[in-house]
Amino acid sequence: MTSASRTRPLADAGTYVVLVAAALLTLAPFALSVLTSLKAPVQFASTSPLSLPNPVTVENYLTLFDGSRVDFGSALGLTAAMVVVVLAGQLVFSIMAAYAFARLEFPGRDLLFWVYLATLMVPPVVTVVPLYLMMVQLGLRNTFSGLVLPYLLGSPYAVFLLREFFRGIPSELTDAARIDGAGTWRTLLHIVVPLSRPVIATLAIITVVTHANNFLWPLIITSGDELQVLTTATASLQGRFNANWTLVTAATTVAMLPLMAVFLAFSRRIVDSIQITGFR
Amino acid sequence: MHEPSSGARTRPGRRRARLREAVAGYGLLAPSLVGIVAFLVVPILVAIGLSFYKWDLLSRPRFVGLTNWAAVGTDPALLNSAAVTIAYVLLVIPLQTVLGIALAVLLHRGLPGSAGLRSILVLPWVCAPLALGIVWKWIFAPTDGALNALLGTSIAWLSDPDLALPAVAFVAVWSQAGYVALFFLAGLAAIPASVLEAAQLDGAGAVRTFWYVTLPLLRPTLFFVLVTTTISAFQAFDSIYALTQGGPAGATNVVAMQIYTSAFKTFDMGRAAALAVALFVVLVLISLAQQLYFRRRITYDLS
Amino acid sequence: MRPNRARRLAIGITAAAMLLAGCSAPAASPSSAAPQENAQLVFRTWDENAAKAYDQTFAKFTAANPGITVKTEVVAWADYFTKLRTDIAGGSAPDIFWLNNSYLAPYARNGNLVDINATLGADAAGAWVPSVVKQFTVDGKLWGVPQTSDGGIAVYYNKKLVADAGLSEADIAKLAWSPSGGDNSLLTVAEKLTKDASGKTADQAGFDAKHVKQYGYNAAYDLQAIYLPFIGSNGGTYQDGDTFTFSNPKTVEAFSYVVDLINKHHVAPSAADTNTNGDFSRDQFLQGKMALFQSGLYNLANVEAGAKFDWGVVGLPAGPAGAISVTNGVAVVGNAASKNSAAVAKLLAYLGTAEGNQAIGASGANLPGVTGAQQVYKDYWASKKVDLTPFFSVLDNGTIPAPTGENFAAGYAAYDPILQEIFLGRKDVAAGLAEADAAANKAIQG
Repeated sequence: MTSASRTRPLADAGTYVVLVAAALLTLAPFALSVLTSLKAPVQFASTSPLSLPNPVTVENYLTLFDGSRVDFGSALGLTAAMVVVVLAGQLVFSIMAAYAFARLEFPGRDLLFWVYLATLMVPPVVTVVPLYLMMVQLGLRNTFSGLVLPYLLGSPYAVFLLREFFRGIPSELTDAARIDGAGTWRTLLHIVVPLSRPVIATLAIITVVTHANNFLWPLIITSGDELQVLTTATASLQGRFNANWTLVTAATTVAMLPLMAVFLAFSRRIVDSIQITGFR
Repeated sequence: MHEPSSGARTRPGRRRARLREAVAGYGLLAPSLVGIVAFLVVPILVAIGLSFYKWDLLSRPRFVGLTNWAAVGTDPALLNSAAVTIAYVLLVIPLQTVLGIALAVLLHRGLPGSAGLRSILVLPWVCAPLALGIVWKWIFAPTDGALNALLGTSIAWLSDPDLALPAVAFVAVWSQAGYVALFFLAGLAAIPASVLEAAQLDGAGAVRTFWYVTLPLLRPTLFFVLVTTTISAFQAFDSIYALTQGGPAGATNVVAMQIYTSAFKTFDMGRAAALAVALFVVLVLISLAQQLYFRRRITYDLS
Repeated sequence: MRPNRARRLAIGITAAAMLLAGCSAPAASPSSAAPQENAQLVFRTWDENAAKAYDQTFAKFTAANPGITVKTEVVAWADYFTKLRTDIAGGSAPDIFWLNNSYLAPYARNGNLVDINATLGADAAGAWVPSVVKQFTVDGKLWGVPQTSDGGIAVYYNKKLVADAGLSEADIAKLAWSPSGGDNSLLTVAEKLTKDASGKTADQAGFDAKHVKQYGYNAAYDLQAIYLPFIGSNGGTYQDGDTFTFSNPKTVEAFSYVVDLINKHHVAPSAADTNTNGDFSRDQFLQGKMALFQSGLYNLANVEAGAKFDWGVVGLPAGPAGAISVTNGVAVVGNAASKNSAAVAKLLAYLGTAEGNQAIGASGANLPGVTGAQQVYKDYWASKKVDLTPFFSVLDNGTIPAPTGENFAAGYAAYDPILQEIFLGRKDVAAGLAEADAAANKAIQG
C-alpha cells in the first residue's frame, strides 16, 4: 500500500488527521505537566490547571536539586551508575553465553538452552518477594550491590536474542579465524562482536530503557534517601507532597527527560531496532 | 564445534579438542548460568517453599500447610484481584491491539512526516511507567486536574470504583499503542507488495484487501504481539501503584498489586508467595499456548 | 545428564537452605560491646516539619557528644511502615525512629526495640507525658521515649467565611450533632457555610451540589480527626482490645451521620476527593475554600504557615455522649539491632530531656512529649496569639482509645477498601460496617 505514486488526497488528508490527532494526544500529557511544573504553587492553587505559567518559574526544579527536601541530583547519578553497571554486565555475560550456545558443542547444551528459554517466562513480580528475602540473607538489603546483582549476570532474553543473531554469522568467518589459530576469546572479540554491532546496540537500548525505568525492585530493595533512583525518588516525593502538583510534575519531568532526550536524538535508529527484536 | 574439515586428527586429540571446547563452553556460560539459577530459578523454588508458611518478617515462620493455597481459591480479596486482573487485560489488550494495527496501517502509507509522527507515538515507551502514572494521576485529579478543567466537569476519575479501572486501562493503552504499532509496521513491511497488487488487480477494494489479504498475513505478528502484551498486562504494577495503589475499594487491585500488598503492607509473605506462584502458573500456561503455536519454529531453532 | 541432575539437586538444597536460613533468622543480636568513639546514627520520621527541628536538636547533641553524628531521613507516611518492616527484617533499619502506638506491638513483642526502662532507668518516664507513656507500654515494659503528645481534636475556622455567612464565633463555638433528633447545630451551621458556584448555600432551595465552591466542613474518611471522634462522641467503640467493633450500633450511627454530611447534605468534599488524598481538606481550607476544618495540633504549624486569612480555633462538636476526642502521641524508639547501641542509648536519653525535646516544640511543629519541654510550645503559640485551649480542654471529657493491636496493619488493610466504599455512598453503612468488622477481625487472626 505504499501508494506514493497514486495520489489519493482524501485518504492522505484522513491519514494525517488521525495521525496528528494521535500524536497530539500522546504529547498533551507531557506538555501539560511541563507547564504545571513551571508554575509557582500559588498560581497553581488560584488559577485553572490549564492556564499558562505566569510568571514562569523554575523554583520547583530548584527544590528538587537543592537537597533541602529531596535529592534528585543523587538519584540521577545513582540511576546512571545502576544502568551502566547492569548494561555492562548484561552485555558481556549475555554475549559469552550466546556464543557458547550458538557456536560451541558441549554436553548438556540443548538442555541448558531450554532452561534459559524457560526462565524467559519468569516475571519480576513473581520473584520479587523471594529475591528480597535472599538479599536480606546475603546482607545486601539497601546496598548498591543488592540493587544491581539480580540483573548483572545476564538475562535470558538477551542470550536468546544474541544467539539467534550469532547463528546467522557465516561459519566460514569464524572457522577461518580458528584456522589462523585464534582462540575462542579472540574469535568472539574480533569477529563475532564487531559483526553483531546492530543487535548489540538494540539490546543496549532495551536494557537501558528497562533498567532506568525499573521501579518494583528498587522500591523493595532500597529504603531511605541514600539509594534512591529516579523512579523511587519520584514515587516517594509524590507520597510526601501529595497534591503539591507543581513540584510533583517537576519531578516526573526530571525522571523522564534523560531517556526522552536520548530517544529523540536517536529516534529513527531506536525505532528501527525495536522492530528488529520482534521479528527475525 | 562443527567438525574440522579433515579427519586427520587422532582420537585422543579429538577428544582433547572436544574437552577443550566443552570447558570453553561452560566457561562462557558460567556467569549467566549462575545468574539465571540464583536469580530466576531459585526464587521460584523459594516462593513455592514459602507458600506453605506464615511469616510476618518479624517472628519465626510457621508451617501452615495448604492454608495459603486454600486462600488463593477462596479469599474474597484475592478472588477480586483475579477478576480485576482479567478485566484489566480484557480492557487493555483488544483496544491496544486494534489501535496499534490502525496506526501501523496509517503509518505504513509512508506519507511525508510519517517517521516523525512514528517517533512521537513511541515516546511514552521510553518513559518510566511509574512517572507516567503520576502524570496521569494529576491529569485525572478531581478538582485541580487537567482533564476535569478541560471538560468543565468534576468527575472523580480515579476514586469512583466504576471509572477507576477503565481510567487505569486507558493509561496503559495510551502508553503502549504506539509501541505495539511498531511491530505491526514491521509485519506490514514484510508483506510483499506484489501480493497486495494482485489483490487490487482482482478488483478488491482497500477494505477488502485489508480484511482478506493484509490481516491474514499479519497473523504471526498479531499472535506474537497478543501473547507478549497479554503476559505483560497480567503483571501490570508500576502505573497502577502510581495511579491508585489498587483502590478505590479494590477496583484496580490487580494481582501484582495484591502480591505487593500482601507481602509489604500486611506482611504475609506466605500468602504473597502463593499468589506469585499461582500467577506464574497462569503465565506459563499462556506461554505454552505460544510454544504450541510456534512449535515448528522452536524445533528449528534447537536444531 | 548427570551434571544436570546434580545441579538440580544443588538448586534444591540451596533453596531449602535459604528457606531454613529464613526460618531461623531472628533480628540480629545487639552488639553491646564497648561504647564506640565514633558513631553515625540515622534517625527516621514521617513528618517534614519535625525533621527540620530534629536537625537542630542533633546539632546540639553532637556538640555535647563529639563523635556521634545523627542524620535525619524522612519517609512518607504512606510507605513508612512498609519500609520499616522490610528494613527491620533486612537489618537496614535506622538506629532510632518515630513510631506511633498503632504499629508498636509487633516490634515490641518481637524484641526489635530497645527496652527504655532497662536502658534509661525506671525513673526516666517520670519526666514524660503520662498518657503517651501509657500508649507505649506493652506487656508492662516501656518501648519509646515520648516526643509528641497531640492534644485533642478541635476545629480550625476561617474567620472571614464565617462572618460572610452572618455567623459569629459564638454561633460556632459550641457546635453539637446528634444522629437522632436533638441539637444538630453542626449541620445547620455547615449548611450555611457551604456555597455552590452561584452563591447559594446548602440550606437554600436550588443549591447545586455538583458545583460546590466553598465547603462548610471536612467530614471525611479520616481516622484520627473525623471518625474516631465521631464514634467516641456518640458513645460508640472502634476496638475492643485488638478486636474491631464497627458493628456496635452507636458506631454505626456515628458513621451514618458523617456519611450523610458528605453524600446527603453535601457540606463536605466528596469522598472521591478525600478518600485517597488525606491532605485534600487541609489544602481546601488553606486556599480559603473551606470554612470549618476539624483536625489536631499536628496541622497547627501547617495552618499557621499556609493560611493567608484570619483564622481561629473552636472546640470539637459535641455528640450525644459529649465531645470525645482521640489523643495520639508519638515516641522515638531505639533499634535493638543497632551496631551503635551505646550511642543510641545516649541519644534516646537526650531526646527524653526537656532540652532534647524542645526543638520540635519551639518551632510550633509539635507539642512535645516531655512535660518540661511543653512550655516553649505554648509560649510559641502564645506569641502568635493562637489560643490552644480547645485542643486541651476537650481531653477533660475523656478520650476514645487510639487504634492498637499486634496485627493492626493487616486489619486496617482489610477494612480500608470497605470503608472507602461506605464513604463514597456505594455501600449501605450498616451492612458495610458489618462486612468491615468480619474482614478486619479475620485478618488480624491471621
